[in-house]
Amino acid sequence: MEVTALLLQGIFTAFEPLNLGLLIFGCLVGLFVGAMPGLGSVNGVAILIPITFIVPPTAAIIFLAAVYYGAMYGGAISSVMLGIPGASTAVATVFDGRPLAVKGEAMTALTAAAVGSFVGGTVSVILFTLFAPPLAEVALRFNAPETFALMVMAFATFVGLGGDDIPKTVFSILIGLALSTIGLDLITGKPRLIFFGMPGFLHGINFLVLAIGIYGIGEMLWTLEETKGKVQMSKLSVNMKEVGKALGALKKTFLAMNIGSFLGFFVGILPAAGATPASLMSYGITKQLSKNSSEFGHGAVAGVVAPETANNSASTGSMLPMLTLGIPGSPTTAILLGGMILWGLTPGPLLFTQEPEFVWGLIGSLYIANFFTLVLNIALIPAFLMVLRIPFAILAPVIFVLCVTGGYAPTQSLHDVWLMLLFGFGGYVLRKLDYPVAPAVLSIVLGPLAENALRQSLILSDGSMGIFFDFTAKPIAAVIMYIAIVLVLMPAFGPIYRKLFKKA
Amino acid sequence: MSLVSKFTVKKAEITVAVILALSSLALMIKSMENRITWNTEENMGAGFLPFYLSLGMLICCVLVIINFFLKRTPQSKDESPFIDPEAFKFVSVTLISLIVLVFAIGYLGIYFSLIFFLAFYLRYFSEKSVLFITLFSLITPVLTFLFFEWLLKIPLPQGISEPLFYPVYDFMY
Repeated sequence: MEVTALLLQGIFTAFEPLNLGLLIFGCLVGLFVGAMPGLGSVNGVAILIPITFIVPPTAAIIFLAAVYYGAMYGGAISSVMLGIPGASTAVATVFDGRPLAVKGEAMTALTAAAVGSFVGGTVSVILFTLFAPPLAEVALRFNAPETFALMVMAFATFVGLGGDDIPKTVFSILIGLALSTIGLDLITGKPRLIFFGMPGFLHGINFLVLAIGIYGIGEMLWTLEETKGKVQMSKLSVNMKEVGKALGALKKTFLAMNIGSFLGFFVGILPAAGATPASLMSYGITKQLSKNSSEFGHGAVAGVVAPETANNSASTGSMLPMLTLGIPGSPTTAILLGGMILWGLTPGPLLFTQEPEFVWGLIGSLYIANFFTLVLNIALIPAFLMVLRIPFAILAPVIFVLCVTGGYAPTQSLHDVWLMLLFGFGGYVLRKLDYPVAPAVLSIVLGPLAENALRQSLILSDGSMGIFFDFTAKPIAAVIMYIAIVLVLMPAFGPIYRKLFKKA
Repeated sequence: MSLVSKFTVKKAEITVAVILALSSLALMIKSMENRITWNTEENMGAGFLPFYLSLGMLICCVLVIINFFLKRTPQSKDESPFIDPEAFKFVSVTLISLIVLVFAIGYLGIYFSLIFFLAFYLRYFSEKSVLFITLFSLITPVLTFLFFEWLLKIPLPQGISEPLFYPVYDFMY
């Protein structure tokens, strides 16, 4: 009953003129950002964070969450029409969306993607409303040792669940953490890692500098190389008959919608997993369970619905650990979390009691954003297709201008713009060599929180690391720590398991 | 361009791993400017975390190098060019123009630098008319100015061009 009242209050907050205006604008920007090849929710949110400084935190989070949400819808547009995923979250949408477009059924694919996204988003926001308050209550019992253990688990998930090269993944985590230590040490007050005596390093490295560098500059360099500035678009006829036909085709996608909605949500709430693995897993499982699995890859409507439902569901799910535990569920929520710190909020369970308007305003806005994005998406498909025809050679410099101004604005230091450029180039080279870059961004956001929690815990325990493994004094921290250790060791057990399995 | 074709993914993998290993080592040495010890009697030194994090980075780089010589990763066997020679033009010109842009921002200020950057970039990569390029290069900095200086009240760097903006500020405030 209390949840219903808080939710209603949140929905009213989201309907306030400024919040509603920003929500609709955010959905539009998100759709555009998601639809542009090379830009995804993470790029959009990273580049746009500096413009949220002029509005209250609630309006800012509503705007950025709407961008995040809209981008999940928009990703499908370029996947279907250009055959290039608008974002990594829409990679799986290309598998069947593109063949449908080639067969002349682009409108079916786009409508299926939009409705699938709506269903996934709605189911997950309901699950979010039900799970968030109890999880926040449990998290209220968390002190420094439990918080540090959680951070370790967030880093461990990257190592254990990621299929990437392990030394490269760990390197990415460590470099993010090392970068977060630059500047003044909060406990001793001593300057650390001030290279060449440059005063610009004294204020540390703002996570935005790394995020905009990697996801703005680096991503654009990558896209320029991949596309060489040229893209090929499919033809599309938009009329009500096509929309009706598309809605009819959705009747056969009940299984895909269910798998996408529930699997997406639960993969989304895993720290560091996010919408991309959720959409790929949802596609794979739906294909395996479908009666018509042979149609997948050749234009199956369920093949579009499964990943699109999952990526929207996961994007909402990934906000759950961000709000309740203060750890992000995806690279985009890592940036949102950094934004919350910039706006003067402390992410974590106390937010629910200290800032109910912020938390419930965000949750309420997710319900509304879901509806508006569906309507805007279907209504504006022709307009987005016109925008997609803008050559990359024109779009790229505009994005570079946004990156340079966005990198400068938070600290008003040209030093940070140079660093951003360096990170952009470095991120581009490392990504080409299969170094995952998302862990570095996650680490630079979580680094200061983790270091504080670690040092506070060690002060509590007189310097003994045993505090993290003591089942009697700190059972929650110990359980989380052991789970983290298992997660880190999982890749090592993989080959042993495979050997045993082969022998059997 | 032949140099670009000769620089393979394989060569890039080992070059980058060695550069990162050396950088990690430099970071370890830099961390030692602060106390890097920690025990139960005294709290953690300011250099402790940076030192051991960079040691971890170094170990990761050594593992990447070992994997390279054992040919365990796809990159260690890949003889294709690290960057497609045709795409090299896009990436290198973009990077150089961005570096020149940031240098110019420090001297000329952001608004005038953006005009030159946009005009150059569009002229070099797009096939748009001179009129389009001129209008686009002029309108974008004006919109940037209005957005940051007028709406957000965030001053962007103006370098030697700052006095030119005084009349505009007089008009605005």
